[in-house]
Amino acid sequence: MWGWVYTGMFSVVLVLAVLIGYLGTGIASGDVDWLNLVSDPSWSPVNGAFGALAMIYGSAVVCVLALLLAVPVGWSAAIALSEYLPPRFARPLRLSVELLAAVPSIVYGLIGIMVIRPFVSMLGGVPGGDSLLAAGIVLAVMIMPTIVAVSVDALSAVPARYREAAYSLGLTRREVVRSVLLPQARAGMRAGVLLGLARGLGEAIAVFMVIGRADGRLPGAPGVFFSSLVRPGQTLTTKLAGPEPMLAGTSGPYFAALCALGIILLLLVAAATVWGTRKSSNRPAKRGLRGHRAAARMRIPRDRLTTALRMAALALPGALLLGMLGILLTRGGSALNPAFWFSPSTGAAGGGVRDQILGTLLLLATTALIALPLGYAAGVLIGTRATGKTARVLETLTVAIGGTPTILLGLAGYVLFSSAMGWGRSWLAGAIVLVPVVVPVIALTTAGRIRSMPPEITESALALGLTRAQYIRSVVIPYTWPATLTGLLLGLARAAGETAPLIFTATVFFGAPALPTGIVNAPVQALPTHIFTLSQDSGAPEAITQAWGSALVLVLITAVLLSLAVALRNRFEGARRWTT
Amino acid sequence: MTTTLHRAPSLLTRKQKQAGLASSAALLLGVVLTGCAGSAQASSSAVQASGSTTVAPVASDAAEALKGQGLKITVATQGGSAGGISQLGSKQIQVALSSKPLSDEDRKTYPNTDFVPTQIGADAVGIIITKEVADGGVKNLTKEQVKGLFEGTITNWKQVGGPDLNVFVYDKEPGRGTREVLDKFVYGKGKPPLPPQSANYAVVGGNLETRNKLESTRGSIAPLSTGFIEGRDGLVAVPLDGVAPTLENVASSKYPMTRPLFMITDGQPKGAVKQYIDYLLSPEGQKLLPVHGYLTRQQMGL
Repeated sequence: MWGWVYTGMFSVVLVLAVLIGYLGTGIASGDVDWLNLVSDPSWSPVNGAFGALAMIYGSAVVCVLALLLAVPVGWSAAIALSEYLPPRFARPLRLSVELLAAVPSIVYGLIGIMVIRPFVSMLGGVPGGDSLLAAGIVLAVMIMPTIVAVSVDALSAVPARYREAAYSLGLTRREVVRSVLLPQARAGMRAGVLLGLARGLGEAIAVFMVIGRADGRLPGAPGVFFSSLVRPGQTLTTKLAGPEPMLAGTSGPYFAALCALGIILLLLVAAATVWGTRKSSNRPAKRGLRGHRAAARMRIPRDRLTTALRMAALALPGALLLGMLGILLTRGGSALNPAFWFSPSTGAAGGGVRDQILGTLLLLATTALIALPLGYAAGVLIGTRATGKTARVLETLTVAIGGTPTILLGLAGYVLFSSAMGWGRSWLAGAIVLVPVVVPVIALTTAGRIRSMPPEITESALALGLTRAQYIRSVVIPYTWPATLTGLLLGLARAAGETAPLIFTATVFFGAPALPTGIVNAPVQALPTHIFTLSQDSGAPEAITQAWGSALVLVLITAVLLSLAVALRNRFEGARRWTT
Repeated sequence: MTTTLHRAPSLLTRKQKQAGLASSAALLLGVVLTGCAGSAQASSSAVQASGSTTVAPVASDAAEALKGQGLKITVATQGGSAGGISQLGSKQIQVALSSKPLSDEDRKTYPNTDFVPTQIGADAVGIIITKEVADGGVKNLTKEQVKGLFEGTITNWKQVGGPDLNVFVYDKEPGRGTREVLDKFVYGKGKPPLPPQSANYAVVGGNLETRNKLESTRGSIAPLSTGFIEGRDGLVAVPLDGVAPTLENVASSKYPMTRPLFMITDGQPKGAVKQYIDYLLSPEGQKLLPVHGYLTRQQMGL
């Protein structure tokens, strides 16, 4: 009876199984010396040396840098947004933050190359500017919106009566935040950080573009640690996004070592994701009202100072958004010319991006077609098992798949579709690889919506004597479809900017027809990979202009998907009022 | 209330079953279509070429020129020469672009592939330095000096007679033909050592990326096809052991880092692939090589 629903969920689990299967068989195909892998910094396949310590170190440093920069600002901005600003300012700002969180990482990478690399070069007085620090800054800018968005949600979930009670005791705003709101919202705010961390750990392309990719680099002495930050390095993801997975073949010690890197990466990201999303609401806040020592003196000035700091922190994401838009609009001005959208590219960096837009849309549409039934089915299963332990397990699994580093999906797709099945580069392989990015978002929004169905609706439907079919048609589907579609659009907005998986499975830089005529050996061109190649490979001004123009087009496509999602969400808030 | 909550889901089933059937049917149909398309496409699909970023500009120009004759050719550069060879070995593409000769190891790795290389021209890999360094006194580098620079033992240009400026090395990522030519020049048949622990050392991929970073980094050095620095005033190909990479020196192979450029196929080229390679070997196709700073087969005496 539940056959197809289970198929839906099964497909979600299948993704994880394929991924682990691919990595597992890889590891089994050659002995992996795990101890050596995690303790030795020298990586040289030619010499049979497979030590990944430098990559692990690089990942750690880059992520810590990103968190150090993003967390204080993100948290302060979230507090300012939710507690200091009046709703009529807070609402549009919150929307902008959500938009920022959806900007494709390839665009952050482009900004990294054009703005942050020169900045680090100037700051550290070092040539080049490819460095761990540049990667950390790019990641910080990337994950800050996620941290703000999740923290704002956590703060607004604190009941208003707590605030009212605290203010009526005569506490200043700073004291209310410190002693009432933060203890309540701490779990949610920490979740935001962990989700940001997971995104940072799994990000491949934006880091790849600015880190310099030098193998085997560890600071020799503690003293040179700081200068090593402005030097090139390598992370787990950049190693996997480079040429080596293509050179390693599909078995043997080299391939096994790369798969082992994938396993380490997967475990780290999964740990951060699961820890970040575990149910923390049913645990009481551990430390309730922590003592506010010496609070009596200088209360008002301190309150003012904190207000100023928090508003300044809020101004930063705002400035970032404006700055990014400004850069995109001024540099990517060619995108404002309709000819750029509707003419094909000529040569390496001329003409328009018609074929790239078509390719991107084709990939998205195919992904949507496959992901919608699977995600809906998985969502129904999770949603209707709301009370069970299984639901929690399924939900965690779904979240974990949603957080899987897409570079790993790309590599698994490369081995499975492009190599084993002989598809070569194929648009369909690219679309299938993007499906796991979209399915979890659909599943989770649908499940949440089903769970929020008030029991009265079901009761009245039954009391009216509706048949099951009538009940489904006139009650359940109208109730859940806006959420499902919102999930689909949000998922597609994320998939639109994916670069790493497409490079390995679906896209070429030159010569692919606008629309493929088959499936096997039928690559397309897509905006993200177009930007990647142009910005990475060439210093020619026309290529850079083309890259910025493509970035603006990509951001606009993402923005359209998101606005549709927001419009739908508003509509279904309305629907909820109608039903209750 | 809770019972209703639990009953509600069970009511979903019939519709779900229908929708499930529909979606499974759609998926099945998709799979069938995929299969058909797969078998139908095998013969008529576009020619896929991938590999060396050195060969790619010529390959792309030729593909563009053949578009008029109804030939569809795609060019990608993921993974460089070795990436192209490995993709050809795993039957993903029909033409591998390579700026390095095939090795015995390549043939051993892919025993089911009958690699047939066709040389379309030649090129010189230069040791490229910035004009500032060249003007500062670095007019020649010996093999030992090149070795020291790329191994990180020479860290300041004044150690090789240049200005007081730190050396910044851009090495090519593994699998790049350019890098193998450098390794052959410096180490002969021996294996190159591990990458240096020097701080002024980064890794780059394609040729355009290399040129871009050389131009934007003071005191930098990298191996790069000399064809890519034509018309770039800021970059200089330094003579090696007293031999400059001039046309004559490359054509006579006196310049030590001369390398052939190949299109590699699985078996003798046939059909569209043959048309493509024949075009590159024709007088018209050969004209594309000097455009990108490479030498024609004729210039190499082939």
